[in-house]
Amino acid sequence: MPDHTDVRAILVRAARAEARRDGSRTIEAEHVLLAVAALEDSAAARLLADAGLTESAIRTPLNREWEQSLAVAGIAVRTGLLPEATPDRARDPQIGESTKLVLRRAMDAPPKLGGGRFGPMRILVGLLDTDRGRVARALRAAGVDRTALRAKAAEALAAGTR
Amino acid sequence: MTELVNPEDPAAGLAAVVALRRLADRLEDSQVERAMRAGWSWSEVAEVLGVTRQAVHKKHARRLVAAGVALRRR
Repeated sequence: MPDHTDVRAILVRAARAEARRDGSRTIEAEHVLLAVAALEDSAAARLLADAGLTESAIRTPLNREWEQSLAVAGIAVRTGLLPEATPDRARDPQIGESTKLVLRRAMDAPPKLGGGRFGPMRILVGLLDTDRGRVARALRAAGVDRTALRAKAAEALAAGTR
Repeated sequence: MTELVNPEDPAAGLAAVVALRRLADRLEDSQVERAMRAGWSWSEVAEVLGVTRQAVHKKHARRLVAAGVALRRR
C-alpha cells in the first residue's frame, strides 16, 4: 500500500462488511475493531494479535459481552445458539455514533494530524480511548488490559507508525 | 468480571439495553425469515409484530428476496 493512501476508505469498507454480516443497520466501533484486526501487514493488527486479539478471537469476547449484558436484564442466552438470519448483502450500513466517536478520538490523538496520514494505528488509539461501550466491555471480558494496550498504540503512533 | 453483571451499575444496565436491542433485531430478522419460508403472508407477520404490513415489507423484503425466499403476495 503506498504511503499516501488514506486507509479510512479501506477500513470503512471492511467495517461495513462486518456490520452487514452482523445484521447491524449501523457500523459500530466493534465492526471497526474487527476491520483493524483483519488488516494484513499493519502494525495495529500485530499489536492486537500480540494481545491475543486476532480477528477471529475478538468475536468470542464480543459474544461474551452480549451474553453478560443480557444477563444483567435477567436473560440467559447462549448467543451461539440463536437462530441465524440471512444477512442483507445489499444493505448499506451507515456510520454509527460509536464509530463517529472512534474517528473523533483518533483525530484528536497526538501527533497532530497532517494531510493523508490517517492510519490503522491512529484508529486503534481511537478505539481504545474509552472505557464505555461494547469494545471496552468485550476487552474486559477477554481479560485484556485496555489501558496498557492503548498506551502501546499511542506510543507507536507518536513514534511515527500509522 | 462481576462488575459486568452488577445491576446497580448504570454502565451494566445501559449495556443491557444495547444487548436487548441486538437480541430483538436478531430475533426479528431470523423469525420473519422463518415465517416467510413457512409461507406466512406479510399481513400475518405484521399483525403478530404489531406493525403495518408496509413496515415489515420495507424492512425485510429485499433481504428475503436476495436470500431466495419465495414470498406470497399478501
